[in-house]
Amino acid sequence: MSKICDDIELRAREELFINIHPIQAAGRLTAEAMKAMITYGDGYSTCDWCLAPFRLDKIKRPPIEEFHVELAEFLGMDEVRVVPGARRGFQAVANSLVDKGDVVIVSSLAHYTEFLAVEAAGGVVREVPLNEGNIVTAENTALKIEEVKREMGRLPKLIMIDHFDYQFGNEHDVRDIAKIAKEYDIPFLLNGAYSVGVMPVNGEEIGADFVVGSGHKSFASPAPSGILATTEEWANQVFRTTEMVGDVTGRRFGVKEVEMMGCTLMGSNIIAMMASFPAVRERVKHWDEEVEKINYFAREFLRIEGNEVQSEMPRRHTLTKVDTTGSFDRVARTHKRRGYFFSDELKARKIVGEFAGATKAWKLNTYGLTWEQIKYLAEAFQEIARKYGVLVT
Amino acid sequence: MSEKAVYETFEALFALTDLRQLFRETKPLFNFSEEQKKEIRRILERVRKSLETIEGETLK
Repeated sequence: MSKICDDIELRAREELFINIHPIQAAGRLTAEAMKAMITYGDGYSTCDWCLAPFRLDKIKRPPIEEFHVELAEFLGMDEVRVVPGARRGFQAVANSLVDKGDVVIVSSLAHYTEFLAVEAAGGVVREVPLNEGNIVTAENTALKIEEVKREMGRLPKLIMIDHFDYQFGNEHDVRDIAKIAKEYDIPFLLNGAYSVGVMPVNGEEIGADFVVGSGHKSFASPAPSGILATTEEWANQVFRTTEMVGDVTGRRFGVKEVEMMGCTLMGSNIIAMMASFPAVRERVKHWDEEVEKINYFAREFLRIEGNEVQSEMPRRHTLTKVDTTGSFDRVARTHKRRGYFFSDELKARKIVGEFAGATKAWKLNTYGLTWEQIKYLAEAFQEIARKYGVLVT
Repeated sequence: MSEKAVYETFEALFALTDLRQLFRETKPLFNFSEEQKKEIRRILERVRKSLETIEGETLK
């Protein structure tokens, strides 16, 4: 097999296998992004024409400044910066808004990096409980705000809720939560790590003060890459520039934004995001078809006796949590390879990305698969079931 | 050697990247449609043309 060098193997799983890995699907690069990686991989490649005021988002060649403007429009927000992953977006907002001991409301399905961002800023998280369908509702968010107000004698500083969570891929009640946030005058951050770049997301329509997206999760971009967008009202605070002056040299770096640590995504990562942007703008218009495909898959998957879908049904997102305790796990109990029999069978059919060895609850993502691939995938699961005597209705 | 050899190297890499994308869209069975076969022919011709230029520029 070809190698990149010494012990770094070639990665060709996206070319050879159907990859259903839950977090890899929508970060797969477009051909344009791959070309960007080839030509802009050198360290400071974006700095060839970096002129005054010497900041990444102001570079005109390649058109990075224009990309920032268009990206803000795309998200229905006023200002945007690219950041090294959604987590750096949470961090920038938390650092700017949260003081020691302040409360930040998050979902009970919040990503761990939301916890870390709040902790780094000195705040504490309080989680909104889920309803019986594993959804974060506006009602439960309001109850949590009241609870914090009662206990602490002051309101939370920020509400951070995932549009779609990473565990179930369920859609949460973000529009009504935004309204509640507005009623209490608490800024609302929409975590769009699983929505920005795959479906239409308009921060203004939702009522978000901040929209955070992930390039490597949902924007056909390399890791790390992400998006932080905000309104005119908050831009000056979150994108504040440095006021520091060196005591010996008297140096100032006035144009540099503190939370961005100056420049953010340099080199191939920003160029790849830009290269994927036209395709991303187009693909969000076809989100309905992606949802149609996952629902087709889910229906076929549920024809296997014992299979369950733990995510909300019908599906509204391609990221889906399934449970095969009553089917493939029954086989695993007596198979000499235990749970790995399932991975072996999938791999033999050129399917990868399941959690190796897991045959109880696990996640998959069908984003970007063609209809032909979706049908092949559904048939593969049924074929494995039949091979081991599991009924397919 | 002129700059052309360098640009043709990138052209060939870009054309092969388009081929890579086609593999991604048709995996794992690679049942190419007539349209996709036409695209593959276009890509291969492009790469051959680049290779000829590179060969002429570098080894003449």
